[in-house]
This record gives sequence, structure tokens and C-alpha cells, in this order.
Amino acid sequence: MKEHVHKDVVIIGAGMAGLTAALYCGRMNLDTLVLENAIIGGQIANAVAIENYPGFVSVNGRDLIATLQTQAENFGAVVDEFDEIERVTLKSTPKIIETQEKIYAADVVIIASGMNRRKLPLPEEKKFAGRGVHYCELCDGHAYDGKIIAVIGGGNAAVDAANFLTKYAKHLYLIHRSEFRADEISQQRLRANDKVTIMLQTEIKALRGDKRLESIEILDKISGVTKTLAVDGIFVNIGVEPNTQLFKDELTLSASGRIVAGEDCRTEIAGVFAAGDVREKEIRQLTTAASDGTTAALLAEKYLSKLNQ
Amino acid sequence: MVKVYSFESCPWCTKVKNYLKARGVEFEVRDIELSEEAAKECLKISGDLTVPVTTIDGVNYVLGFDKRKIDELLAAQ
Repeated sequence: MKEHVHKDVVIIGAGMAGLTAALYCGRMNLDTLVLENAIIGGQIANAVAIENYPGFVSVNGRDLIATLQTQAENFGAVVDEFDEIERVTLKSTPKIIETQEKIYAADVVIIASGMNRRKLPLPEEKKFAGRGVHYCELCDGHAYDGKIIAVIGGGNAAVDAANFLTKYAKHLYLIHRSEFRADEISQQRLRANDKVTIMLQTEIKALRGDKRLESIEILDKISGVTKTLAVDGIFVNIGVEPNTQLFKDELTLSASGRIVAGEDCRTEIAGVFAAGDVREKEIRQLTTAASDGTTAALLAEKYLSKLNQ
Repeated sequence: MVKVYSFESCPWCTKVKNYLKARGVEFEVRDIELSEEAAKECLKISGDLTVPVTTIDGVNYVLGFDKRKIDELLAAQ
């Protein structure tokens, strides 16, 4: 039998948006719980150097998020990263969040569940996940000291990952199916490294190996030639997808799968807010995630005041 | 004694260590970046240097953070 617990606010996701919302809710004396199914910090937990967050010349994601978590907890918010959410019911009053261990009744839900890295869409991906196919360079890069690595992707995250991984790799291939989308400065850094071979207009077609990855098959899209490349491991950075699986039956999602909500973070359901990268919007930055968290928390408090009148 | 093969800046390693702390389980951190011996042990257990690896007997282990599997590992000791 699961324990029933009431909360003023349940925040789903402990990234920048969720923890900022928790900080503000805590400061307003709201009974606040943050649930995180994966890693506290979300996408920036793996960021080695954040250079575009105001007030910091350079800060790693782990330190920034640890400080923010401490701030939120100092004002009474509770962060639970172990009790996984199984299902949510948002249209009821109160809203219900059922985890593995508890059933939470919440007056307000702030969804800040962010984005997950997109998996490599190849049938062998599952076989080699963690055995040569990786999604976290900070976690697994060290295992490839003196080895041959490929990074798949051409956006900022991929190029930053490649730059980071050159400190381990004997040789690194950056493989991307079209042209670079990364910032010029990151590209230049990568191009200047003689350990790196950049292969644009090149698509990964298959993964090969016995117990772990040994090689990949790649297609040169210009020449049409397929060849085998011996690699010890690959790091996949082919974009992200919104973490909205839990909410798809109750909230309207955009074509890209994000939650439809205005700049005030209000969704179509009263008392349910969407904040950060999970919300459909044009600009998705760390600063706008913090902004969303702030907005959602302040408007949540207004909603609760009315509810309790 | 529970051993967690890990390294300091690995987020999933931190999650495993935090989970064991939350459950009140004593454990030894085997840092594979700081100790070559720990790295060799990790390779012997899982055949790889991907971490976190949680083990009690050095034979059965859990790779990554999987609450259910860690609970099973702890229950079996």
C-alpha cells in the first residue's frame, strides 16, 4: 500500500527550470517537492564549462546545479531523485502524481522535465549501449584513454563533446550526416586538433562487434561509398527529445513533442505549469530555463492564493 | 562490504552513492581515475571501465543506476 502525501507544489524535473522554481516556491513557504527520474541538473549535469550563464566567467554544470539545489533546499524544498514517477493525473483536483513508493496529491504541478538525448536509431543500439555506444562523455570518456573514438552529431553539444574527448582519444572521428550546426568557435577548436578527422555528409549505418562495439559502417553521402571504420567507442550526440511521455494524454503537445504553454508557463490545465526546455518556445537557453522556473513559481503562488481563498 | 567503482565527476556515480547513503548502506568508493588498482579491479569485474559498477562479492554487479537491481544486490548479501 503506497503512502498518500499532500504537497502544495510538486515540480517534475530537477534541472535549471525545476530547481529555480523550487527555490522560489521554497522562499514563498510553499510545501514543495521536486521529483527527478534521472540526473539532478538534467542536460547541464554533463556540461564541463558553461560560459554563457550571467555572473560566471566559466562554471561547470555540476557545481552550478549543486549550488542551486542547496539554495532550494535551504528554503525548505525537498528533492527526491530516487522515487521514480509512474503516472500522473493532471486534470483532477488535486493533481495526482504516483511514484514507485508514494501517491502525491498536489495543488500545483510544475513540469520541468526537460529533454533527453536522442538514441541512435539503429537496431544494434541496445546490444552495444554501455558497451561501446555512449551518451555521456563526462561519465564514460575516461574509458577510452588512448583509444579510437567517434562522435556522432554536428551541433554544439556534439562538437563540445568531441573537443572534450580529444583529451582521451588517440584519434577521434566526428561524423555528421549533414553540415556543421555548431558555433564557429567550437568548430575552429576541433579543426585545429590534429587528432581529429571530421567527416561531414556521412551517415552511420550499422554497428558491428561481438560482445562490444568494434567497428561502424558509414556511408559517404556524396560518393555513395560505404566503408567500415574500426572504433573502440562512439558517443552519440544527435539531438534531444522532450521528456513528455507522462503527460501526452492530458496536455496538448506541439509538433516537436513539447508542452504547449505561453510565456507565463500556464498550460491549458489550471494549476499546471510547464517550464524550461519542455515548453514549446523559440529560445531554449539556461537563462530562459531559469526565467521560466521563476515565472512558473510566482504564478503558482498566485494560483494557490486564489485556490485557498 | 559494498564497493562502488566510480569517479568523482561522474553524475550517475554520484546518484548511486547518494542512493546508498539515503538507504544507510555503508560502502567503499573505488575511484578508477585515482587508483590504477581500482581500474584493474573494475575491468576484472565487468570487463569494462564504464561506471558506476556496484558490487559486493566482486562477481555479481550492477552497471549504472538501477534502483531495483541495486536493491536486489543488497538483499542478496
